[in-house]
Amino acid sequence: MNTITQFYYSPNEYESEKASNSYLMSLIAVIAGLPFPIINLIATLAFYQGNRKGTYFVRWHCTQALLSQFSLLLMNSVAFWWSVSVLFGPENLSNSFIGYLITVFLFNLTEFVATIYSAINTRKGLHVKWWFYGDLTDMICSS
Amino acid sequence: MKNILLQLVLLVILFFALWLGLSKIDWMELLNVNYITSKTQQKLGELILDQIKNSGEENHDPKVTLPLDSILTGICISNAIDRSQIQLHVIKSEEVNAFALPNHQLVIYSGLILETRIEAELSGVICHEIAHMELDHVMKKLIKEVGISVLISTTTGNSGSNLMGNILKTLSSTAYDRDLERDADIRAVDYLIRTNIDPIPFAQFLRRIPESKSAIDQHLTLLSTHPDSEERAAYIIEFVGDVHGEYQSILSPDTWKNLQHQLK
Repeated sequence: MNTITQFYYSPNEYESEKASNSYLMSLIAVIAGLPFPIINLIATLAFYQGNRKGTYFVRWHCTQALLSQFSLLLMNSVAFWWSVSVLFGPENLSNSFIGYLITVFLFNLTEFVATIYSAINTRKGLHVKWWFYGDLTDMICSS
Repeated sequence: MKNILLQLVLLVILFFALWLGLSKIDWMELLNVNYITSKTQQKLGELILDQIKNSGEENHDPKVTLPLDSILTGICISNAIDRSQIQLHVIKSEEVNAFALPNHQLVIYSGLILETRIEAELSGVICHEIAHMELDHVMKKLIKEVGISVLISTTTGNSGSNLMGNILKTLSSTAYDRDLERDADIRAVDYLIRTNIDPIPFAQFLRRIPESKSAIDQHLTLLSTHPDSEERAAYIIEFVGDVHGEYQSILSPDTWKNLQHQLK
């Protein structure tokens, strides 16, 4: 799922810290315990904006963190509004709804573990490339 | 690029396959969802009914309960609704009000029965409350207004009488969402037509209530329970449209007169 590869150059201590922080920013809503899926994305986006002119290593990891948040935002938003509709609207509790919540939970858990793993390794100056998101980041992020 | 697209497709397939697979498991049965919901509703219904009985005496007179039971049973049979699950309670009160409680309990105040001029008006109100029950609006409203944690605490015995009073107030004197109200009105019209009861008097009753508000007094709680009565009457009439059936009454004229006479 995640592979550690050699980056184009060896990042310095400052770059490693910044890159590691980009992953930690995407966990901010989980730490704050907020139910709104948009919070994670906003935090990551704000950090990305702040480091747009950073070094390639920092930008690359900010972009990977941001892209992973986009896909989670979609599934988490559906889960959020479906739950609101079950609690207050016309929808009823169903096997499909519970199945969806578990699926979203598993995807979030996987992303959570991958994020922590990436934060630890990028802090050490290692380059962590996620499956799908890594290739996508390579395509988007130019050196 | 081709590789990325392939990975994206695989990711999407993985997501939907996992969702589909997990949806095949009967979580409702596994987590006892239906049992827990039904137990919570039963307990809540009992607690709220106790609160109502503290404020007004229940009328057990067969001359009152039997005609109402006939109307209720007629509506249920015509609409394939399980009559045995609905409990009817007539409360002696001047308040013009009727509402549904959790666990399929239907409460009608005697003031409302006296305010209706013909049986079809009362049938309309009964159908409206049955619709709230059948569409599961009662618990949804309580969850929204009171909160799920508070509701659970009431059923585990951690509630004071003040809290139960507030829950009762929520159910009896505040409005459902406009959409839920409309859904219940439309469903009520369906019920009435299938029972061969004219739905127009129901709309007329809604229209008349605000007009007579000043003539009666503040006991017209139905007005505050169901706002925008004029608008509701209008869409009921529009929904009925050109449907003209051979309408009939469930009760004989004498039984209806006796029912009203008993409550005066």
